[in-house]
Formats: sequence, structure tokens, C-alpha cells
Amino acid sequence: MTETLDMETKAPAKAAEFADMYTWHEGMDWNPVERVILERRSNRKYKDKQVPEALVRRILEAGRFAPSAGNSQPWRFMVIRDQKMIDEMEKYVQLRCKLFKFFLHWRTSPLGKIAWMYSQVGIRVRRNDLHPIPFSAIKVIADGKLKLFHGAPTVILILKDKRGAGKPELDCGICGHNMVLAAHSLGLGTCWVGFVDLLKYGTKWTRKLGISFPYDLVEGIAIGYPIGNPDGIIERELHEVEWFENGQRKTVL
Amino acid sequence: MAYLTWKEKLSVPTYDNPAYARSGRVEIDKEKCNGCGNCALICPSACLYVAGVGKNKKAYLMDDDFPECMSCNDCMAMCERDAIKVSQYYDFGLYYKVLHRGDLAPPRNF
Repeated sequence: MTETLDMETKAPAKAAEFADMYTWHEGMDWNPVERVILERRSNRKYKDKQVPEALVRRILEAGRFAPSAGNSQPWRFMVIRDQKMIDEMEKYVQLRCKLFKFFLHWRTSPLGKIAWMYSQVGIRVRRNDLHPIPFSAIKVIADGKLKLFHGAPTVILILKDKRGAGKPELDCGICGHNMVLAAHSLGLGTCWVGFVDLLKYGTKWTRKLGISFPYDLVEGIAIGYPIGNPDGIIERELHEVEWFENGQRKTVL
Repeated sequence: MAYLTWKEKLSVPTYDNPAYARSGRVEIDKEKCNGCGNCALICPSACLYVAGVGKNKKAYLMDDDFPECMSCNDCMAMCERDAIKVSQYYDFGLYYKVLHRGDLAPPRNF
């Protein structure tokens, strides 16, 4: 009880201290929260230095307090800090990528026309998994130019609880990004790794990690200290926004 | 109103046909670049490389007609000399046609 009282008395004081920073006026500079959001880039090269355990625990807290549909919190985290295990996972996924490259990558596959046929069917069935970007990533990973977790010392796997309310997968995304932003605000680098899907192609990792109903592996987040300063503000393409107001419709960029 | 025609919906692009697809591209300012290779180090699709010796050491985009650049602009964030940035974002056309986008712009503080 005393603890909650303390929090109540402390909160307004903190708010007043930063009120100026967090009060919007037109054209104001980015506040620290916005800055973390805007400057976050996917980091793909990490130092060998391990992330302290307490810091990872702190990041997981940010995930625990994410919003979810009906407060169902349909997630489960797995933290992997065992370098040998990470290497094994990378090898496992690389092998699967090699297999997919052999059957689907028509430009390099010795199967030639047959690979072209397979890919044309495959892309129509798995339109998102074989989108041009992951399609070329399969080749890059198979060739060993890109490692699954980019050499990160810590990996958080996010599992969804299939029984969650509404869209459990989306809730996993929300809680994952909470953790990612918290990590970047604390000087770490992160990268979302969707290719962990390939760990499910076979029983080795599903057994070892204990992934079975009602859980399903959704995403991985690689965490580590980045090499250099990969974070920064960049240019992005504008997206058209449809704007409905006062009975009228306009498109803003 | 349909955003994709039936033909587009059913046609899977071959991903590298210049008739309807374009890759991501970066522009490298050769004056500013000092060939440190940081961009090549972090490029997720390994489509940048460094070549040359001494003062002529510069970063280059793969000479491929279709570099695997996904216009993520990570290189721009990494470069300390503002020498590199994405000049064109990818569009693979047909089924994967990019819709409702504008030009490249940094974040705007309204």
C-alpha cells in the first residue's frame, strides 16, 4: 500500500519537470520519446559484448506492459543467450534456406525451368513469405552473407498464445515493439527476425524449445550492442492518408 | 474502384523485369565518401561493396541491373559523412505494385 502511495506522489512531480518537453506546440523539436521512435533503425552488426541480464529483464518488463486485446496478453517470451545454441539455430535456418533456394530460386537453381514452375506456384500460395524481399533474403542467407540473428548475443523469441482474444499475432507485435523501443532508448540495438519461422520446419527446435499448442513461434528479436552508430533519422517515402472531415474527403501526404 | 487490375492480381512478377519492376537504389556522393565500409558492413542485402585503394577507396552499389537493395536507408543512418542515401525505393510491379506512396522525405515536425 505504501508503495502505491509513493508512486502517486512522485508521478506529478516528474510530470511537472518534463511538462515543457511533452507539451506540444507547432514545429517543436522532437521530444526524447519521439526521438527514440524516429531514430530506431534495424541494427545488423553487433559487438561480442553480452547484454547484462538485468537489462534484458528490464526490456522484458516493457513488453509485459504492452496493450493487448481484452487484456489477454497472448504472448510468451524465450530468451536465448547461449552462443552455441544461437549458432546452431543459424545453421539450421541456413540449411533450410539452401533447400528453398535449390527448389525455388530460378535464377541460380540447377533445376532451371522446374524451379521457375515451383516458384510460380509457391509465390501464389505463400504471397507474403515469398514476397520479393524475403525471396532474395533466402538466397542471401543460404549463401552465408547474412546470419539469422546477425551475430547478436541475446535473442528474444516471441510466442503467441493461439487462444488469445482478437488478433494474438498483432498483440505480439505490439509487445515486441515496446521492448524494441525500450532497448534502443537504453543504448542497445535490435532487429526483428521473421526468418525464425524456418525453425518450425522440422521437429528439432520445436521440441527443444517446447513449442506446441497453444503456443506458436511468431517472431524473434535480436538484441545486442551495435557496432558504430547505426541509429539515426533517415528519409522515407510518404504514404497517402485518406482524411475524412466535415463531410469531405481529402488525401494528404 | 479497384487498385489492381485482374491481370495484375493474377500476375506474379519475375522480380527483375525492368518493364514493370524497379529495384531499390542508393546514391553515393563520391566526394564525401571515404571508403570506411560501414555501409557495406550493415547492408542487410549485401548489395554494397568497397573498392579502390587509398584516396580512391569508395563504396559502390552492386553493378547488377537489379541490386537486392530494399531501400531501408540503414546506410544513410550509418554514414557519418552523409555520403549515401536511398534515391529510389523498390517496386516489383504487378501483384506487388507499390500503391499510394509519395516521395522520400525525412520526418516532419508538424
